[in-house]
Amino acid sequence: MSFDPIPYDLFDALKHFLTVFGSTMFIALIVCLLVGVLTRGVKGIGDVFLGILDFFNQITHLSCRRIWSLSTLTIRESLRQKILFVFIIFAVLFMFAGWFLAGAADRPDLQIQSYIDFVLKAISWLVIPIILLLSCWSLPEDIRLRTIHTVVTKPVYRIEIVIGRMLGFTLLGSAILLVMGTVGYIWINRQVPESVQANLVSKVPIYGEIKFTDREGAPSAGLNVGDIWMHRSYIEGATKARAIFTFKDIDESDAINDELNLQSSFEAFRTHKGNMEKGGILYQFIFVNKDKGLRVDTAPLINKEYLENRLKINRKIMHESEDGKEKVEVDIFDDLVDDNGNLTIEVQCLEAGQLLGMARSDLYIRTPDHAFISGYSKAIFGIWLPMVLVIMLGVTISCFVKGPVAILTTMTIVLVGFMSKEYMAEILSGKMQASGAIEAWYRLITHMNSQTPLPDGPVKFMIQIVDMGIINFLWLCQQIIPNFGIFSNMREYVIKGFDVSWDAALLPGIVTVAAYILPCLIVSFYSLKLRELEAK
Amino acid sequence: MDNESVIQISNLTKIYRDFWGRKKVRALNSLSLEVKKGEIFGLLGPNGSGKTTTLKLLLGLLFPSEGEIKVLGQPASNVEKNEHIGYLPEESYLYRFLNAEETLDFYGRLFKMSAEERRERSAELIEKVGLGHAKKRQLKEYSKGMTRRIGLAQALINNPDLVLLDEPTSGLDPLGTDDMKRMILELKAQGKTVLMCSHLLADVQDVCDRIAILYGGELKVMGRVEDLLKEQDETQILTSRLSDEAIKEIEQVVAKHNGKVGTIDHPTATLESLFLKTVQESKERPGQRFVPDTQEKKAAE
Ligand SMILES: Nc1ncnc2c1ncn2[C@@H]1O[C@H](COP(=O)(O)OP(=O)(O)OP(=O)(O)O)[C@@H](O)[C@H]1O
Ligand SMILES: [Mg+2]
Repeated sequence: MSFDPIPYDLFDALKHFLTVFGSTMFIALIVCLLVGVLTRGVKGIGDVFLGILDFFNQITHLSCRRIWSLSTLTIRESLRQKILFVFIIFAVLFMFAGWFLAGAADRPDLQIQSYIDFVLKAISWLVIPIILLLSCWSLPEDIRLRTIHTVVTKPVYRIEIVIGRMLGFTLLGSAILLVMGTVGYIWINRQVPESVQANLVSKVPIYGEIKFTDREGAPSAGLNVGDIWMHRSYIEGATKARAIFTFKDIDESDAINDELNLQSSFEAFRTHKGNMEKGGILYQFIFVNKDKGLRVDTAPLINKEYLENRLKINRKIMHESEDGKEKVEVDIFDDLVDDNGNLTIEVQCLEAGQLLGMARSDLYIRTPDHAFISGYSKAIFGIWLPMVLVIMLGVTISCFVKGPVAILTTMTIVLVGFMSKEYMAEILSGKMQASGAIEAWYRLITHMNSQTPLPDGPVKFMIQIVDMGIINFLWLCQQIIPNFGIFSNMREYVIKGFDVSWDAALLPGIVTVAAYILPCLIVSFYSLKLRELEAK
Repeated sequence: MDNESVIQISNLTKIYRDFWGRKKVRALNSLSLEVKKGEIFGLLGPNGSGKTTTLKLLLGLLFPSEGEIKVLGQPASNVEKNEHIGYLPEESYLYRFLNAEETLDFYGRLFKMSAEERRERSAELIEKVGLGHAKKRQLKEYSKGMTRRIGLAQALINNPDLVLLDEPTSGLDPLGTDDMKRMILELKAQGKTVLMCSHLLADVQDVCDRIAILYGGELKVMGRVEDLLKEQDETQILTSRLSDEAIKEIEQVVAKHNGKVGTIDHPTATLESLFLKTVQESKERPGQRFVPDTQEKKAAE
């Protein structure tokens, strides 16, 4: 499921970026030095370092004036190529969409989802391919027609031409997105019937951390019932097994009408049929504040399966005091949130012999809704980000290959980055293979059984070193391809009626795009620097 | 400082290679030359002799296989030197979706020119190259000669000290050629340096101080135009029309001085001068026909 609210670890991402970036740069440097020495002798080493200095020199002397004039040129070029025809396609799509989508789903909230889904898909499927074509085509065409000769013989750094192009396409794409996004927003608002307008909001969830205890109350990982949903762990009913959710930074502002809103989607696993009439398994929430030594439980609740359970709990709860003599009123936000602002909620299954399964994302606090525009605009931003990434990749790739090849390459990267990132990760993590490529060859040639261990000695050592190298190199190649899946998360949030989470979706998207800025600049800088601008 | 050298090329060799690095063509072979400040230097040679290659090397569009290049005292790969250089490519490689004004404004913005300066300079240049009537039309509608003209204007937008012209007169009508030559001489008068290449010898002869002739990528001849042409040991006398007796007398006089008379004839006007005259007069008196068609004359009779 791409809808995954796991918060993003910025520090971890940075470390990861530095590893990948650093090792790529290191390999590139070694290769350059080797080539330099082979072609120019000792002077080659000096040339390589001068080349590196040149990058820093030019990057620090960029001129906004020139970049700006190159980007307006780019925009003008696209406009005069009648790029705005996409609006006609867009308009036609929308004229027919209303008919097809009306009555596509039987529940109003699903109907809303299908409208939002359509608008976001239509926009991204129109904008991203067109921008991809433009950005891959433009520079090679400039080189083919040699119009670039007239520009590079002016006091213009070649990298400024690249940046100008990137900026120009970004501005153009942003303008197109803005217009389409606005039209889409108005369209959705018109399509959604008056009666369900109230559903057109951006829900704002707060997710917590989850821990489990076993039937004796000791920390555990929860039970695995061998279901396909491996990500859920189960707690046994009528024992001390608990799922413990901890929500951070909770205060009054998270209440809706003085009520704490909890939304859950637990899954039941039955060891016996039980009482089916009540519609689900009984469970209970227990609010725990260790600082005050408070444990407050709710009345038994029924877990309706395959539906979202929305539970509104008044912030004032009547609660029997420790000695059980009197009833005291506790306030969820004043009394049950601990000194660090954490709200701890334990989930207990009440029926013996039944199990209740849950994962981190199965319980969240719903805080006051944001306006629909809040989530919607972030979803549009979620189209903008991959668009910018596509522009950067497209322009960079078009620095060293011809237009059609650049288009194919960029498209491949986008598709691979979108679909098979996880699959590749699996191969490379070593789960799917027994031995390295060289070892396999060695066994094949020497007719060695794959079970027999390799004889010790220099041969084994060499094979292992080379295999390690290959695996690491493949790993690096895989890391270099951007994870486009990250961006579709944002759309997913909004389609499901949520506001887009900063931690789990916006930040990783922004960071992913930002991570490609420097590498793209480096690659395009050197491909243009080392290249004679003749059409080949 | 008259003797300051603006372009210095030593032992320049350029080998074009294909994608795999295999040698294809040796376009320049060990070329050395120097262009001094304030000079108009002509690079001559037949098609494919390496003229354009030399210019592109000077501009850093191509990288030399061997040898050294200094332009305005800087290596060719240096970008800052372009601040003072104007370049007219072999074919005018301009953005066809811009009109003349936008073109000049765009290139102007690549230099440190204010909006005011750009407007003035481009208006002035558009007038100068004679495109005032077409300045709002996109370049894709331009004829070859018009493109050439806007190409020249583009090369001069920054008021460069060094102008590199690759076949400046190609595609121009005789009037344009004449304008071009005048402009080149004007540049010289302003103390600018011009390096032009061409295979139209007449053009070169009229404007260049010094020339070099390339053949197959090698330098064959270099020197001052007058020096190179002086060896023709002849004298030409142009007079008003003379009678046959007078011509006989002249032949005797020539013989007395140990000379030998070559050809004596009554020259017709050259086509070039006729063309120039017609165009000039059309400009002064529009809507009039000057040389009646001979066919029409007969029909009238
Ligand atoms: N991009 C290129 N790739 C391979 N060879 C080239 C390339 N450009 C030029 N050449 C070759 O280099 C040689 C010199 O070409 P160049 O264009 O410099 O000639 P030129 O003197 O300018 O000729 P012209 O008078 O026709 O313009 C020619 O043999 C040509 O085929
Ligand atoms: Mg040429």
